[in-house]
Amino acid sequence: MASAPKTYQAARATYGASGELVWWVFMRISGLLLVFLVFGHLFFNNIQIDAGTIDFAYVANRLSQPGVKIYDTFLLAFAMLHGINGLRYSIEDHVRKPGRRFWTKVVVFSLAGIVFVLGTMTLWAFSYDEMGAAVRALD
Amino acid sequence: MYRGREGQWAFVLHRLSGVALALFLLLHVIDISLVMFGPEGPFNAFLAFYHQWPFRVGLVLVMAAVVYHAFNGLRIILMDFTEWGVKYQGALWYGALGATTAVGIPVLWKIVPEILGIA
Repeated sequence: MASAPKTYQAARATYGASGELVWWVFMRISGLLLVFLVFGHLFFNNIQIDAGTIDFAYVANRLSQPGVKIYDTFLLAFAMLHGINGLRYSIEDHVRKPGRRFWTKVVVFSLAGIVFVLGTMTLWAFSYDEMGAAVRALD
Repeated sequence: MYRGREGQWAFVLHRLSGVALALFLLLHVIDISLVMFGPEGPFNAFLAFYHQWPFRVGLVLVMAAVVYHAFNGLRIILMDFTEWGVKYQGALWYGALGATTAVGIPVLWKIVPEILGIA
């Protein structure tokens, strides 16, 4: 795109009823939510504690709490959609050759899909209660 | 090289920080996913590796990118959804830089001593 539309009306005029208008709105709504979600994430894991002390026990303890799992699920979903859509904008702006643009998107979207599944598994597929107990039993 | 005014620098920094954050996000989800291998898995060794000072400095840069991207993103929302946002976009950008600095200084005050090992 030559230059991004600057107002909601301009975005409607440019994108009409296509999916791009939905993405344009999504980037603003998810962006606003992510300000709070990401600032909270950084506060919990970098300010309340020394990030240099993070180890398995700390992460397992966090991931055994339902509230953290739900918080991190929203964080993962919004950050991935916002981030990968932003990468798509960047690819469309800067990768000019059609063939190279296509394959760059294939690689980025595939990687994003794998990482999203990996992240969801990390949050929901294991009982860190039991893993955390195993760690405490080691001490 | 074309040297634009505030709007161009706001865009360039937003794009650079955004791409960097998206790539970091992918890396971050992959490294935290190692926790799935359990207490005897590679997680602790991997984290110890990341606790070395060059990576902790990198993490500070990631946080700086987050804070700038967040405040400039709020500026974009104001430009898109208010009558006056575009008119004052230059001033809003200085506001975003000021807010980034205002958040950054206490964060550095907390984290730099940790990295130097004098916390």
